[in-house]
Amino acid sequence: MSFKRLETDDFVISNDSITSTLWSDNVPTLTTFFSNSIQENSSAGTYYLSVYNTSSTEQQVQFDIAYCDALGSGSALYNNAVPIYSPTRTLYGQYRTMILEDENLNFIFGSSAQTGIDACGTTITSSTAVISDNFWMISLERARYKQSIFPGSLNLTLSSSTPGVHGAQISLTDNSNDITTVPYIAGTRAYQIVSGSNGNGISNNGGYTTNSGSYGIMFPDLGLIMLNPIALSYSIGLSPSRSNDSDGHNNTRLFTAISQSSFGLNSEETISSDYVFVRARNSEFNYSENPSFISGSTGEVIYTNFINAPQTYITTVGMYNDMNELVAVAKMSRPLLKDFTKEALIRVKLDF
Amino acid sequence: MGYLNNQVITVDAILTKKGRELLAKNDGSFRITQFALADDEIDYTLYNPTHPSGSSFYGEAIENMPLLEAFPLEQQIMKYKLVTLPRGTAKLPVLDLGYSAITLNQGASISITPQTLNYLGNSQTFETSGYALTVSDIRLLNTFTGLGIDTTAATNANTEATTALNQTLGTNVSSTIIGTQFSLRGTTINTLFAPTNTSINGTLTFIGLDSGARLTIPLTINYTT
Repeated sequence: MSFKRLETDDFVISNDSITSTLWSDNVPTLTTFFSNSIQENSSAGTYYLSVYNTSSTEQQVQFDIAYCDALGSGSALYNNAVPIYSPTRTLYGQYRTMILEDENLNFIFGSSAQTGIDACGTTITSSTAVISDNFWMISLERARYKQSIFPGSLNLTLSSSTPGVHGAQISLTDNSNDITTVPYIAGTRAYQIVSGSNGNGISNNGGYTTNSGSYGIMFPDLGLIMLNPIALSYSIGLSPSRSNDSDGHNNTRLFTAISQSSFGLNSEETISSDYVFVRARNSEFNYSENPSFISGSTGEVIYTNFINAPQTYITTVGMYNDMNELVAVAKMSRPLLKDFTKEALIRVKLDF
Repeated sequence: MGYLNNQVITVDAILTKKGRELLAKNDGSFRITQFALADDEIDYTLYNPTHPSGSSFYGEAIENMPLLEAFPLEQQIMKYKLVTLPRGTAKLPVLDLGYSAITLNQGASISITPQTLNYLGNSQTFETSGYALTVSDIRLLNTFTGLGIDTTAATNANTEATTALNQTLGTNVSSTIIGTQFSLRGTTINTLFAPTNTSINGTLTFIGLDSGARLTIPLTINYTT
């Protein structure tokens, strides 16, 4: 017999979290940023700006930048006779519906429960949370972040030509390593973005602005990074244009701030693996139908000592269904000797 | 006192083409219930029972060979299965077709009933689960059917083969059927024979589904005006 049935306890299911670099070519930190004039000047360009890793023909979108404004500021109106309705307002409503799940709520940067030290070393208290009616949204390409952003891996540096209170440059990260419970907004994880690195706000649990809340919110499961213009304007002088009925080029403003610096981020995904334990007992699988195992056409084994002490070499494990159909196969890295004195235990890993 | 090696060998499996197809169907047919082991790539003539260094070195030429990665085509892998037989077995199961090669004229038919020699204590027997027959190029045949096995797998395989006969329309693909008796009829399509070809060639591979015994013979279809 060549088939052996598997028992129930031969199967084990395992879920493993796999983290990896997020950007193309496995680069952990993106340091070169390119936009595409064709995309920028297209109808989609009025909504978002795609950012690429290279200017070559092999360029791949890494993330998109969109400026969102509840008042419709920063972009031309759809129709001059209808005030407020513009791409920036559409985008604001889109994200509010998706994340807050309530059209009457607004995004709040920071938390009234947070206390810490800001980027200037000033102790800040619970009054720092701010409600904002505009924000920048960095939407990561789905293929890049796979299943979710890996919390604690955000290292985004922004630069500005007009320094604010904290100068012209600031390094931002999520605060996932500063908190003990995972925070949620509606049904999705939401970490505050603070001044710091590798998931730690400066001076532990700090990194907020003094009066402008956090620098943004990271939504790992949605692949979104929301930036707070009030905090960025206060801290490094990076402000959007909020003029009515005119293109403020706000996507390009943030693109310029990012492209002068660096953007580090990792992805995370859960891989479900099926482990199947294949057991070959000492008395099993000791003969082979390999033509070189047989001498002649009548089936005699090639060597006489193979009659009582056969030796075979396992190279391949085939997994079959009830209909004897080969559905999965695994190869050994080198032949595994099998005879009547040996038993083999092989763990076959099936990833889905 | 040394430490015993308690490591389990871990290998990564890939889905075969059939496995992907069954997974996509999502009808429960992709359920692994059994396994088989094979020694594809091993050449036992490299085993040297006269090695001057002794029996520990008989398999020296085999044991360190690097192996190829798995192929996703199920017809190209698990070719030579390891089998469980009583100790002292001197003869392994082999297939007997009554033919060492098959040559058919265009439109001519043949019926083949494989038997297995040296299996389960019998000098010759028919395997309960039947036999799988694969033709390397379905274009060579007009009829390709398996009879005698009434399992879902056999029905599916035979239906797929019939579909392949009707739909390949000149595409060179292999096809597999299951049964205890097989009917073959040479193609009547003249265009397969290039202007100067008097015959076209392929192979027939028989596999005993219980014993794992395998036999490949040549198939030739002769052009008739």
